[in-house]
Amino acid sequence: MLNKKLWISILLRSRPHFLSTLFPKQKLSRVFSCSYHISEPRVYIRFEDHFIGNFGFPKKNFCSQVSTLSVSKCWNCNAVALSKPFLACESCRCVQPVDPSVDYFQIFGLKKIYGIDDTNLESKYKNWQKKLHPDLVHSKSEKEKEYAAEQSARVIDAYRTLQKPLLRAMYLLQMEGIHVDEEKTVSEPELLAEMMEFREAVEEAGSPQTLKQIQGQVQEKMEVWSKYFENAFKNRKFDDAISSTQRMTYYHRINEEIIKKL
Amino acid sequence: MAEPAYTVASDSETTGEDKPSPAYPEIAIGIDIGTSQCSVAVWNGSEVEILKNTRNRKMMQSYVTFKDEIPSGGVTDELSHEHELFSGSTIFNIKRLIGRSDTDPVVHASKTLPFLVQTLGIGVRPLIAALVNNAWRSTTPEEVLALYLVEVRAMAEIQLKKAVRDVVLTVPVAFSRFQLTRIERACAMAGLHVLRLMPEPTAVALLYAQQQQQSVHENMGSGSEKIALIFNMGAGYCDVCVTATAGGVSEIKALSGSTIGGEDILQNVMHHVLPNLDSLFLSHGIKEIKALGLLRIATQDAIHKLSSQNSAKIDVDLGSGLRISKVLHRFEFEEVNQKIFEKCGNLVTQCLFDAKEDVGNISDVILVGGCSNIPKISSLVLSLCRKGEAYMGMNRLEAIVCGAALEGAIASGVTDPLGSLDLLTIQTTPSSIGIQAGGNNFVPIIIRNTTMPARKELWFTTAHDNQTEALIVVYEGGGKTVEENHLLGYFKVMGIPSAPKGTPEISVCMDIDASNALRVYAGVGMPGVQHPVMPFLEVRMPSVDDGHGWCAAALMKMYGSTLDLNILHKTI
Repeated sequence: MLNKKLWISILLRSRPHFLSTLFPKQKLSRVFSCSYHISEPRVYIRFEDHFIGNFGFPKKNFCSQVSTLSVSKCWNCNAVALSKPFLACESCRCVQPVDPSVDYFQIFGLKKIYGIDDTNLESKYKNWQKKLHPDLVHSKSEKEKEYAAEQSARVIDAYRTLQKPLLRAMYLLQMEGIHVDEEKTVSEPELLAEMMEFREAVEEAGSPQTLKQIQGQVQEKMEVWSKYFENAFKNRKFDDAISSTQRMTYYHRINEEIIKKL
Repeated sequence: MAEPAYTVASDSETTGEDKPSPAYPEIAIGIDIGTSQCSVAVWNGSEVEILKNTRNRKMMQSYVTFKDEIPSGGVTDELSHEHELFSGSTIFNIKRLIGRSDTDPVVHASKTLPFLVQTLGIGVRPLIAALVNNAWRSTTPEEVLALYLVEVRAMAEIQLKKAVRDVVLTVPVAFSRFQLTRIERACAMAGLHVLRLMPEPTAVALLYAQQQQQSVHENMGSGSEKIALIFNMGAGYCDVCVTATAGGVSEIKALSGSTIGGEDILQNVMHHVLPNLDSLFLSHGIKEIKALGLLRIATQDAIHKLSSQNSAKIDVDLGSGLRISKVLHRFEFEEVNQKIFEKCGNLVTQCLFDAKEDVGNISDVILVGGCSNIPKISSLVLSLCRKGEAYMGMNRLEAIVCGAALEGAIASGVTDPLGSLDLLTIQTTPSSIGIQAGGNNFVPIIIRNTTMPARKELWFTTAHDNQTEALIVVYEGGGKTVEENHLLGYFKVMGIPSAPKGTPEISVCMDIDASNALRVYAGVGMPGVQHPVMPFLEVRMPSVDDGHGWCAAALMKMYGSTLDLNILHKTI
């Protein structure tokens, strides 16, 4: 089995200047492998776990980290942070360095649960970008430009992750320190049979209407397993949660195939 | 006068770097260089102001005339007679020619222009020349653009009473990265520093974001998100953009664009009224050039009239006993250009699809550019968006340059106490960037319409047993095979451990930073080994220079498929 870690991304990420050694000193074994066949290549996700692993933050109690944040000070004007999360200074508008202990949910002021209220996600995303986007610090110091590039990229990633149910589910598991091996082969015969059926149906579908119909069925399934994940995760039944993300991944891929044909 | 009109500065390398920031930021000016017209605007402290030339014009014609030793451009110069534009000594339509090789169909279609465009079809820069004292003087699109920009800069400096260095330029969505480097080069030659090259419709999106922000303030209304479709069609290019705007932030959802414009429409009509045009003017002598010029003016006039009338008369004496007298009806005009209208429609449909936005969610359809005045085009775009009328709040010819000036102020770090500059555009990549793998397949790594800055990585493997070297050939575009796309550059990965084919893991990572610079990284790993077997390689793209058209062919001839790559497939 191929165990692909996107190490260039990681190396670049962990060393913004990447002029010195190009070898990772860190162990990459905990790198989260949620890979690129989920509609678009995902790379940033991996950095988080990588950072968390390296900087030795406890993997579970993200909340306790928040308390330490309250003493954060702006690197530029030394003002004490007034709000959480502290990504940009309120008094001098300076972009702050990435704090890996702030998770995606905290960035968007959300509870660390699967069933988030995503109605305000987009406007929150845009508000952050207005404070952090590298375009806005064009005339500032190299240091701040670098912070802006990193913070902005992280907010983009947080937004995309929370927006998509499957990525959100995987991120939650990852925060619990659980590795989801997406390349794991399906073993349940009942699921295998269903996979075959859907695949065949999509292949044979001649009209857009038929495809739309299949898509409806797939989305229904997706919702069922999405609910299942939510409950399993809430009750900390992680094995069940993992198996539902695997199913969600598979429905997601079928849906991608349908979209391709449509 | 003895001084050269431009200086040869080094390439994009220097323009990408930033100088230490002064205490008071210089405000970058916005320049919209159109295929036929150009305009300049700047943030004056409270609003965007479009600069006027000494003849009190906002729109200046994009051309450079080579007379004797001193070329002059359309910024300050007023042609004594419009016909001088077609004497052979004037070069225009530069935006269609810049950064293209002589195998490009767009260059071939430019042969009816009243100056010399010669192609040998070998993948190098075409020969472009102006008639000076009855002899052809060769030039390059970069040189022509630089000469023009020197005049633009001088005009702006006189008006603003200070030195101008930083600029934001707008470019078509369809421009390749190689073409962008040519624009940067021309700017460097003219002593200008490019802060940003902005796709034209995204400049309009920024202006729209500002207008929405202001109307929210005035009406105290809700700042809910608004989806807008922007359609821009000028003389050379057509661009479409779908943007989601809220709170002064314009998030570009998707971009699409193509090299079609008023020039193609003009050529179609010219061929329609004079079917044997190409064979008549094959020799491209002085007489022929003059006749072509006359026909061009007469046809252009008729097309303009057809925007408001149902028919227009073309009556022109082309000399040598050839006289054209014909009434052109609007239905005829629409029939002749049907393919172009179809392409416009496809760009709109494509953009909506890529944006994953339902047509019903579109709040506004914004039409800009000269060709958006053609009734058939505006009705087509509106009907595809299921809208009765277009957004009224913008001047169709000035929107782009105003957006560029806003971006210039924002990028210069200027803030406005009233919040008029509290704006941002979140850009996406206009085309996919990837490498050649599995034969001549194009494998995209950063997919079109990815939010910038972006970084993506894909895995490849060797195509042959014991292959120790691999060629990474980087392309940009939307075609499935590499031949359909633009070559950006290439480099070799060496030191791959000897192993059966398909075993080594070759990682290719692409990174587009906030200033739109593209870097490609490649490294080699082996299964089960945690560390890369050697330091990875970083290459800035594009790395090819002029004559890039034959690079791919030369590589193929030299190496065949010996250094090929395949996609590293997963076990399912």
